[in-house]
Amino acid sequence: MFALASVGASSALAADGESIIRDRCLGCHVETGESATPFSRISEQRKTPEGWLMAISRMQQQRGLVITPEEKRTLVKYLADTQGLAPAETRELRYVLEKQPNVTESFEPWLQDTCVRCHSGARIGLQRRTEEDWKWLVHFHMGQQPTAELHAGARDRAWFDIALNQVAPKLGQVYGLNTQEWSDWQAADKQSLSGRWVMSGYLPEKGQFDATVHISELGNDKYSVTMDGQYADGTPLTGKGSGIVYTSYDWRGAVTINGVKMRQVLAASEDGQSLNGRMFKRDDDVLGGQVTAIKGAGITAVSPSYIRQGERKLLTISGNKLNGSVHLGAGVKVVSVVSRDDNRVVVVAEASQRAESGHREVRVGKLSSEMPLAVYDQLARVDITPSDSIARVGGGGGALAKQKSWYRAVGYAAGADGKPGTEDDIRLGYMPASWSLKPFDEIAEHDGDIKYAGTIDDRGIFTPGDAGPNPERKMSTNNVGNLTVTGTVHDGNQVVSGDSHLLVTVQKFVRALID
Amino acid sequence: MKKITDITLSKLTHSIRTLALGGLLGAGALLSGCAVTQQSADALPNGMKAGGHEYLLTVTRPNQLHVIDTETDQLLRSCDVPGTFGNGGIAISPDGRTAYVLSNKWEDIYGFDITNCEITFSAKQSSGNVQIKSFISMAVSADGKELYTVQNPVRKHSDRFETMEPRLAVFNTADGMNAQPVRTFPVDRRITKIAAMHNGEVVLGGGDLKAINPKNGETRLITALQNWDRAPDKWVPPDAFAMHTMGEHVGEFIMPYFTIRWNGEPGDESKADFLWGHVRIDLKTAEVEMIEKVPFEFIVFNWVTDPNDKDVVYGSFNQLSKHNVKTGETLGVHGLDHTYYNINMTTDGNKLYVGGAGNTISVHNPATLERTGYLRMSGDMSTSDLRLAVLK
Repeated sequence: MFALASVGASSALAADGESIIRDRCLGCHVETGESATPFSRISEQRKTPEGWLMAISRMQQQRGLVITPEEKRTLVKYLADTQGLAPAETRELRYVLEKQPNVTESFEPWLQDTCVRCHSGARIGLQRRTEEDWKWLVHFHMGQQPTAELHAGARDRAWFDIALNQVAPKLGQVYGLNTQEWSDWQAADKQSLSGRWVMSGYLPEKGQFDATVHISELGNDKYSVTMDGQYADGTPLTGKGSGIVYTSYDWRGAVTINGVKMRQVLAASEDGQSLNGRMFKRDDDVLGGQVTAIKGAGITAVSPSYIRQGERKLLTISGNKLNGSVHLGAGVKVVSVVSRDDNRVVVVAEASQRAESGHREVRVGKLSSEMPLAVYDQLARVDITPSDSIARVGGGGGALAKQKSWYRAVGYAAGADGKPGTEDDIRLGYMPASWSLKPFDEIAEHDGDIKYAGTIDDRGIFTPGDAGPNPERKMSTNNVGNLTVTGTVHDGNQVVSGDSHLLVTVQKFVRALID
Repeated sequence: MKKITDITLSKLTHSIRTLALGGLLGAGALLSGCAVTQQSADALPNGMKAGGHEYLLTVTRPNQLHVIDTETDQLLRSCDVPGTFGNGGIAISPDGRTAYVLSNKWEDIYGFDITNCEITFSAKQSSGNVQIKSFISMAVSADGKELYTVQNPVRKHSDRFETMEPRLAVFNTADGMNAQPVRTFPVDRRITKIAAMHNGEVVLGGGDLKAINPKNGETRLITALQNWDRAPDKWVPPDAFAMHTMGEHVGEFIMPYFTIRWNGEPGDESKADFLWGHVRIDLKTAEVEMIEKVPFEFIVFNWVTDPNDKDVVYGSFNQLSKHNVKTGETLGVHGLDHTYYNINMTTDGNKLYVGGAGNTISVHNPATLERTGYLRMSGDMSTSDLRLAVLK
């Protein structure tokens, strides 16, 4: 415990964390006398920072815990550091921490049927407990949410018995308290995140950006952050804020970018050389996107990521320490270098008419890009991401804001077989599109959903209608709707559209830190 | 392969129907409805009428019990219910005078004299560190002397909850305020709808339908639902929403459920029948009917039986609909102005009421389903019961 704390947090923090547990928690929790699990319930669980924050907040709101905000912050940090999840344990489930919208999960039926009918599967998968504690969690549900066993999907089976006697033991095996991943991570060397980074990413309102990020450690795993960069349209990006690292890799940043408060949920790689995750608006977490940052030399983005046979266009390569000549692969030549510095090279590229369709590796000096450049004959297919989405009415005098949704078009060439929609399609990447809405089905058409449910702008951002009963609508229903989002890409002589399904529904009245 | 025919365990004969109806209304009541001519000599306070006059009861947020005269469709009085709104559950004494309301988030019970709002009975089910919730499940014995609830206890230890075995709790209604259970008996989990039969047993509507003798706790199976004996490759075990207790206007317990009959391969929805089924128990004779005929084309929370033709039921949600449960035929559909969770009707079958999910009660003609009246309530009925008190 102290070995870990000494890497990032000070041992004083660890001592503080334990003394806070003793002072604030032992009115109800008891000392077990077991050195491995000294405090009842508390020591039998491991969680993410958000998971611990939720637990402590519930204790405050519902169990009479009295704790100062400073003590609470210290305790979350202490518990996440000493009873957190290893990088390998969060890797596949970070979307829920990152607040990614419209993620479609897939879990095995035993977990799906029992837990995921109400929670995200990630909420369960981001906890580790002893089998006994998983069982207490089942008991907890009967006290906290007594009707849980009467819901659809529960009332048609012996839900409590299944959860207690079949699912909890399985959770104890799959998501048990003690794991190799956690032991390994506790033993691993930890890296400070201080230094100069370069970050690339996409924000739905602004588009692609890249920036230099300076991160400076202030002590106790707290950092200051500055960001300096630009969006693809040349608009400057400047930001300033702070960050905190939990469990020696899990970055939570709060940065104000061009006056807008943003949040960063990023995971540092185990070697401390990259940060990956999502950055989003604090007040509208749907509006955010994936970002990646690197400390060493590397290419973080190639934009656009496609060039048509015979086409001449500007390409921007973003990254760190971009030295040396630019190579775009067979059949694609660099006509001229428009501008370049350490972090950004803009070139005029040209693909020959005879360049073979397919992906090319982009290289700058000795660096190569993980993201390829696609050479293609013609645009054949457009997919819209996400393919299924939800937006929620809001505002209209109500307490909850609208939950928007946003879309991007991904282009494909048909590949060698000439048929779009087959395995050999060549992914071109994100392409600019124009956006429109239509009723998803006859019922939506009949009910006039298109008139009420909301609008989509030229950036592909859908804004739903106002909340509350609408007397104009059948049964005074809310401005809900069942819509198709169509993105249309004009590329060369091709005009290709793709569709996506959008359900505009009512507000989410219960919002959890981890849904 | 097991037997997969539609089963009707028994059929209510016309004579039994008549008996059941007579039993519910009591001697001297008229089958013709509101019994305005039956004003008894012992006049009740506040302009209420006995002799079989019928009152519709419901609960609205923040927490009030309302008494509506079904003759005039006017709100007569509103009684403040102590505690936080529960689910709006109501059980009515056989003489129609006492309404037991489940309050305080499904924990406490208050018995009201509906003629004057006086609280004549109360029971706080939770005590010490044991939290007790009752999900809808309240019933009054046929003689009015006992109140039954199904209790779902959880012991709240200092650092954990411990789920305990559910039980039937028996209260003496004469115990008045702060009553304690006089007997408890273990029962299954997930029991919601319960009803007292004339033979003294209590119907337990859970995963399967059982009956318990509240004198000694002896339990028998009435009919299996979740554990029914049908081939799994032919039938999907039933899913019963089992919300709201009703059937008092004809003296029955009725529980609709949803099932699927696979006519082809299991899972082949193109060849499947999606069906509403129901179990209907005559509370006087304990006879049971179980049948699946009505196509699952309407969302309803409950069926209410037409007193004049028990093959006919009505359901409500976004539409008011009328069905023949024996043939599966849809007899009528009427669009509603908003969702109505709940439905009930008068004993003469002349008026249908839909309520819940809002602050309006809509009155309809059972023959045409057309609206004939509309009541605006002071608050949201939410999930509340809509029950008929026939005042003796």
